[in-house]
Amino acid sequence: MADLRRSAAYRIAFTYSAVFALAILILGAAVYFAADAAFRAQQDAALTEETHELIRSYRDEGLADLRETITAREARGRVDSFGYAVFDARQHRVAGSLRLRKPRVGWGDVTFIDPVEGPDAARALATDLGDGLTIVVAIDNEALEKIDGTILALFGAALVLVLVFSAGGALALGAYLRRRLARISGTAQAIVGGDLARRVPVGTRGDEFDDLALGLNAMLDRIAQLLDSLRQVSSDVAHDLRTPLSRLRGEIEAALDAPADAQRPALKAALRRSDELLSLFAAILRISEVEGGALTRAFAPVDLSALATDLCETYAPAVADGGRTLACDIAPGCAIQGDRELIAQALINLLDNAQAHTPPGTAITVALAQAGDRLALSVADDGPGVAEADRARIVHRFVRLDASRSRAGNGLGLNLVAAIAAAHRGTLTIDANHPGLRATLSLPGIA
Amino acid sequence: MRILIAEDDDDTAGFVERGLGELGHVVTRVADGEDALHLGLTESFDVSILDRLLPRIDGIEILRRWRAGGVPMPVLMLTALGGIEDRVTGLGAGADDYLVKPFAFAELAARIAALLRRPPISDAPTALHVGDIDLDLLRREVRRGGREVRLQPREYALLELLMRHAGRVVTRTMFLESIWGFHFDPQTNIVESNLSRMRTKINEGFDSDPIETLRGVGYRMRDHG
Repeated sequence: MADLRRSAAYRIAFTYSAVFALAILILGAAVYFAADAAFRAQQDAALTEETHELIRSYRDEGLADLRETITAREARGRVDSFGYAVFDARQHRVAGSLRLRKPRVGWGDVTFIDPVEGPDAARALATDLGDGLTIVVAIDNEALEKIDGTILALFGAALVLVLVFSAGGALALGAYLRRRLARISGTAQAIVGGDLARRVPVGTRGDEFDDLALGLNAMLDRIAQLLDSLRQVSSDVAHDLRTPLSRLRGEIEAALDAPADAQRPALKAALRRSDELLSLFAAILRISEVEGGALTRAFAPVDLSALATDLCETYAPAVADGGRTLACDIAPGCAIQGDRELIAQALINLLDNAQAHTPPGTAITVALAQAGDRLALSVADDGPGVAEADRARIVHRFVRLDASRSRAGNGLGLNLVAAIAAAHRGTLTIDANHPGLRATLSLPGIA
Repeated sequence: MRILIAEDDDDTAGFVERGLGELGHVVTRVADGEDALHLGLTESFDVSILDRLLPRIDGIEILRRWRAGGVPMPVLMLTALGGIEDRVTGLGAGADDYLVKPFAFAELAARIAALLRRPPISDAPTALHVGDIDLDLLRREVRRGGREVRLQPREYALLELLMRHAGRVVTRTMFLESIWGFHFDPQTNIVESNLSRMRTKINEGFDSDPIETLRGVGYRMRDHG
């Protein structure tokens, strides 16, 4: 029982049942009182009517005729359950068979002696006829009481039924809610217990619980992804910073042993290497910041067409200096919701890759096109391309193909582009350009 | 010039203090947020170097209270590596410039020099003249020795920035920030390649080069041509 009281599901279900029962109770009372009042008014109207007829009879014909009329009406059987009595000035009943003490003139509730049932309650209208005579017309309350009793019995039965059904319903609803919620809390307990791969089971109905389960699962996936990314960063830092750091250490050690005039170039080399390390750090931190997703709060509309055109113009001289050509095919009026600098960095990284991994004479094309509600921003070249097996791999952190190991770079460029694409709810795809390579950023556009 | 440094890392603060001292500046150094707040409000400095994370009161809060107290001095904010969000909040709180640690001293010195001589906003010239180069800011026209030089928009912007800072160093990152709006280093040679094209156009038919290259630091426009 304590368990039932503690449960929000049962509490809600039982409260609902109680409110429902209370509503039935109020409805019953209202119907009872309204019906009672209506019957009483009707009864009084009938009494008034009857009295008027009898008075007319007395005024027209006199007491003897009134007595006859009353006798005739009584003899007709008590169809309307009327009872009659006429009293003289000495309180004696001079006509009618209704046995009661003379009541006061006007409306009143009286007690009469029923030949069968004994004393009984009745509604009576006493009217002064003049000449010391008083006529009393009464109606037995029995009919009214019967109707009242029927109404009470009906609503009483309805109340009992409602109570029984709603208690049953509340128990069933409570148990159902608890069962659905238990699945969610069971999953949560399992995850707390270390089973991080567990997810909330999702039903097929698509109701609120399924929505909640889907939402929670999406959240759990996101957390798992962040944990993965964090783990990745720590292992990257551990593995990939060790090599350059130990190289730096070696260089400084060698410089210390070297003659004084050789120390200055060695120091310069060490400075350069520490700058490289710092930029590697910056790149790793930037990727994790982008993957963390907190930046999306500052997203604003970005004119992608203008940004791409701007970068094309900026890069054309640099590309030309390297002996390659840069062509731009930018559709106007394309905008996205995002961070201008991140998108710029993604495009710059793609442009840098197109230059760094192709021979002089390569033609590079930057294109921006609308494809449905998405925008495709691509950088393509007609260089040597990348083998199909390697294409998926080069997006990963610190992956550098053998062909480019000797060049400057940290193997983080494409990884950052992929992270930027994901932060903008987009994707990065690398495919063949026949000949060459094409990297495409697919981003959701805004009108 | 009087410079306030609020930095709790002794090594960084010492290295900045020495460097700025050698350039002839008078440096006051504090390592605590409350001291920085107090000094900034009560004494007059020409520029302040404020660390983002200080003990007791953080840099952003100090800056807010300075600005709320009507302190107009230019502020250069220092922040730890990364932190795209930090940069946004820093500039939003009223910082005039922003530098990510660790930094080269030459970069800091160039930015401090730029802040110290930043002209008031109301004083907006319509033309710049350095040596024999004239720049018409309204028509966006460039003349050297009276002869028109045709520049691309980016090249024009590079020249304008150099001329506005004539006699002072403009670093690579300063170019990236003010011309392209990039607060990150794209690790490519867009500044160098655009600048070298602009330089070739300016120098065509002339013997002297008004732009000096300071290796590893940046570029400087010669004040007296």
